[in-house]
Amino acid sequence: MSQFQKEIVQAVLIADNNVWNFKPLSDEGSTALLPLVNVSMLDYALIALNRSGVEEVFVYASLYLQDIREHIKQGIATYASWSFMMTVHVIGGEGCRCFGDAMRDLDAKALIRGNFILLGADTVTNANLRPVLEQHKRTAKLDKGTAATLVFKECASSATERTGNELLIAVDKQNARLHYHQRLRLNHNESRYQIPLNVFLSNSCVTLHHNLLDPQIAIGSPSMLSLFSDNFDFQTRDDFVRGLLINEELLDSRIYVAMLPPAQYAHKVNNWLSYQLVSRDIISRWAYPLVPDMGVYKLQQQYVFNKDNIYKSHDANVSKVALQENVVVHASSHVDAGSTISSSVIGANCCIGKNCHLNNVFLMANVTVNDNCQLRHCVIGSDAIINQNCSITAGCVLGAKCILPANTKLTNTLVTSSPSTQRTEEHEMVELEALGTYAYIISDLTTGDPDDSDADENLMPPSKTLCIPKMCELQPLAKDDSDCSYSSDEDDAGESRLATPLPDDTNIFLWEVIDSLTRGFREKSNPDFLILEINSSRYAYNMSLKEVNFNVVKAIFGMQSIVEPANGNVMVAINAALKQLGPVVANYIKSEDAMLDCLKALEDISAENELVLEKISQVVHYLYDKDFVSEDAILAWYEQLDIKEHITLRQSLAKLVTWLNQSSEDDDDDDDDDDDDDDADDK
Amino acid sequence: MSSCEFQAIVLTAGRGTRLPEVLGDAPKCLLPVGPYPLIWYPLNLLSKHNFTEVIVVVLEQDKLEIQLALERTPLKLKIDYATVPSDSDFGTADSLRYIYDKIKSDFLVVSCDIVSNVSLYPLINKFRADDASLALLLFKSGFESDVVMPGPKTKHKPERDIIGIHPATQRLAFVFAASDCEDTLNIQRHLLKNKGQLDVYGRLMDAHIYVLKKWVIGYLHRKENISTFKGEFLPHLIKRQQARRSKKVGQDTISDLNVVTKPEDNILHYVTHTALDEKLTQTSLFNQSLSHNPYHGDVVRCFAIQAPKESIGVRVNTTLSFLAINRKLAGIWNELCGETHPLIAPGAVVKSTQTKEIIVADNAKLSEKTSLSSSVFGSNCVVNPKNIVSNSIIMSNAIVEEGCNINNCIIGHRAHVQSGSVLSNCLIGPNYVVEEGTKVQAVHLSNADQYMEIDIQ
Repeated sequence: MSQFQKEIVQAVLIADNNVWNFKPLSDEGSTALLPLVNVSMLDYALIALNRSGVEEVFVYASLYLQDIREHIKQGIATYASWSFMMTVHVIGGEGCRCFGDAMRDLDAKALIRGNFILLGADTVTNANLRPVLEQHKRTAKLDKGTAATLVFKECASSATERTGNELLIAVDKQNARLHYHQRLRLNHNESRYQIPLNVFLSNSCVTLHHNLLDPQIAIGSPSMLSLFSDNFDFQTRDDFVRGLLINEELLDSRIYVAMLPPAQYAHKVNNWLSYQLVSRDIISRWAYPLVPDMGVYKLQQQYVFNKDNIYKSHDANVSKVALQENVVVHASSHVDAGSTISSSVIGANCCIGKNCHLNNVFLMANVTVNDNCQLRHCVIGSDAIINQNCSITAGCVLGAKCILPANTKLTNTLVTSSPSTQRTEEHEMVELEALGTYAYIISDLTTGDPDDSDADENLMPPSKTLCIPKMCELQPLAKDDSDCSYSSDEDDAGESRLATPLPDDTNIFLWEVIDSLTRGFREKSNPDFLILEINSSRYAYNMSLKEVNFNVVKAIFGMQSIVEPANGNVMVAINAALKQLGPVVANYIKSEDAMLDCLKALEDISAENELVLEKISQVVHYLYDKDFVSEDAILAWYEQLDIKEHITLRQSLAKLVTWLNQSSEDDDDDDDDDDDDDDADDK
Repeated sequence: MSSCEFQAIVLTAGRGTRLPEVLGDAPKCLLPVGPYPLIWYPLNLLSKHNFTEVIVVVLEQDKLEIQLALERTPLKLKIDYATVPSDSDFGTADSLRYIYDKIKSDFLVVSCDIVSNVSLYPLINKFRADDASLALLLFKSGFESDVVMPGPKTKHKPERDIIGIHPATQRLAFVFAASDCEDTLNIQRHLLKNKGQLDVYGRLMDAHIYVLKKWVIGYLHRKENISTFKGEFLPHLIKRQQARRSKKVGQDTISDLNVVTKPEDNILHYVTHTALDEKLTQTSLFNQSLSHNPYHGDVVRCFAIQAPKESIGVRVNTTLSFLAINRKLAGIWNELCGETHPLIAPGAVVKSTQTKEIIVADNAKLSEKTSLSSSVFGSNCVVNPKNIVSNSIIMSNAIVEEGCNINNCIIGHRAHVQSGSVLSNCLIGPNYVVEEGTKVQAVHLSNADQYMEIDIQ
């Protein structure tokens, strides 16, 4: 009887992704409702589904469920362009803490009857997903274990900044089956990719794709939901992919891959950088017909489209204003004479004063910018007020209702309107630095605390929260063939350099210690066990105590998190590492001699690690502060540093040493001194 | 000689370490494959592509024997024998370096163990079109996959290469031997960065047919520590595709390791790439990508061509492939060589009436009342009446007495199978006498001490 029933196309939209990345605006409302070129992201996703002929959509939300419900209701009431031929249900609840929970909940509710389209609410695409759905059905017919088809989009070379959506995958050339899946790191620093040999040996031809973007679109089989239910440890879609690839046979499920045709656009907005990129793409009409003048969301003309991609609302007052290219100005906004605006989006009812310069600025509704402000690469939340002569640059985000005092200069900071919006759960209360009565700086540390595994950073592995990509100047097609363009003799040298350090015992020992420490740091294991481990390695390789001291310190600084610190902030990384591993170091660095070894190791490290060399005085001072090394040891070490060879080292340490000398002269009340000089040092 | 575009070099100094069971004392390149010695096949391939002169690199001790054998075959090639000393353990790269003086133009290097009917023109044209430094040919492997290795059951582990090719341009990104890798394959980022997409093949076989620029031999000559071509030089050359001309040209440059590098060490010193060439590439409208310089500005360029799926290609370098090619040869003979070569030599005496796909060499005597199929019979071998021989190789001077049943076996030179034996999946070494009524399967019988594994059930 079911054959007479028409199979309807269903889709699932997951809202509330990447909440961490959109701080502080995500504290004030659902990220799905965040306006992107004056239309909320959820609407883009719904339109995409509507265009693909989807008939029933389940929007899954956890936070701000009510807001989303309201938005959908309002959309239907005002005949939003997606509301035709498509029913939208909003489901979800507070209990859902990750993508996996949402899938399990959907499975329990048994709302999905067949193959379905799975989309993030933050995906902007003009792609027609029906062909992909058909492809999925065909594969499912051939292979009963088809769990999902992931949809990817080829992008240009890796010229632009990474947004966390870039992938390396290995796909079978014959049947498009996924064999390997790796998300590329944000900071472009892979020098090589390690891919299991079996991927290549067990398949006759595997294509490696390195130029892919993951727009977070997938076609799921009904079995996808039950797989989530069976494997309760699947938290994200990446977990699902990884789990299936590892246990292919056990779970008897396979994942396939589909590529979008070159003419179709798809991108995921998962952080401010991609927000900037996608805004640019929408304004420059790559996402056509999802462009401002096509009446996205509301079926009426809201803008006049002028040349150079300038979209101006009829009732916006922007006379005598230099609108350079790629600008959207929404209704009732007012810009005074003498201002220049380029590559920016102005929300409804904004008011911009005289002689302002706006470049890559995204204003939400009702923002007031007073005279003579310089704004570049920033996002200003709704109802915010920026007073005269402010300069806001490079990745700043102002929350809603912030009021910036006049003459404020900000770079790379997040500002929120009240200190209480910080949702710090049982963590130590973080005192927010105040800029004014309605402006508080959220420091990077609090937003990026890696062990604060907040519920809603759904699709981002926690390790990445430390360095959320921010808005910045985009390099126009950077010609960086720097790392492969060595002349061949250098290449030769590189080879021999790799070849020369024979894996002698010291090196193996060092690597083992690094391994132990990295693992211990990650898993937060008991320092005593780590000491045991290191000691057993020590006896295995017959290391003298001196060598052990030296190598343990070297290993600490050789850990991945310090060699490649997030945000380039090595002090934060060292602090984090030593907080955990301090007892291990303290166990070895006890005597004056050991301290000297420790400092010598530091000397070695500074030769290898630029970042440490830059901050060497701070590092030494930190070690001194935490009582790892004594004053005498530092002075003795400083004395024996070769004047010629370590000239930079000596220079950067000179100040610290003078201070140490001073403080040793007047030994009393050194506590106060300490603090003062500490500040001086930091500056 | 210098007037021709390509010189051809056939390397035959290999010792056949992977087929000790059938080799006996003859050089590997004279192994019988159907009616001709192995070396005839690559030479014939070259001759079909209108090569008239070929340099054959031989071991000094084997020169006469090979010369004699080739004179007996219908080949219209002028062969220039270049000898390498027998006592030295020369690798393929060493051999090429040894005959350095003879190479006057771009050249083809062909291994002596390739049996194929593939057309080399696509390969050569790719080489010409892209002004390549190296172009190589890849075959689909698995020719011998349906043949069971005779002898005791061993874990047959074929050597496999993992080959990365950029699909749009057929540029080679890497060639790794699978056995050199551990559990993971490390792929350098720059290999992927410019390309975006890379096809990685795990089941293709390098045909050991290479087209090379002349300057490559000069560079090889310099790199004295490289001894094998496939194993060391090829990966080295492929890696050097990323080489860039350094800013300082000419003078000895001192790299940051304080190692003095002479310009002769640099591969680019050898590449004949003049300023004019540089300008030509820059101004040329020819470009395979929209956003980059042609070839990303690479001067050293390596390409790989895949042979069409229906073409035949097998490297006879293991006992298994030796058996496979011989068994299948009669079936594929027309495709491989055309009809001009008779499969049953004029001097052979074939009285049997039940024959199917057999190849018989001169003076072989196949008696009546025998059933013979998919087998090869060497010269002077004798098969008496009432025998069944299938899927086997009977080497020269071997004798099979009455009433035997031989299936999937290799009977060595001068071996003697006495009457009533039933052999299946067996290797019979040279000169071995199989006693009357022996019934064995999957064993290796030989006179050599190390192979004394006789257990008669």
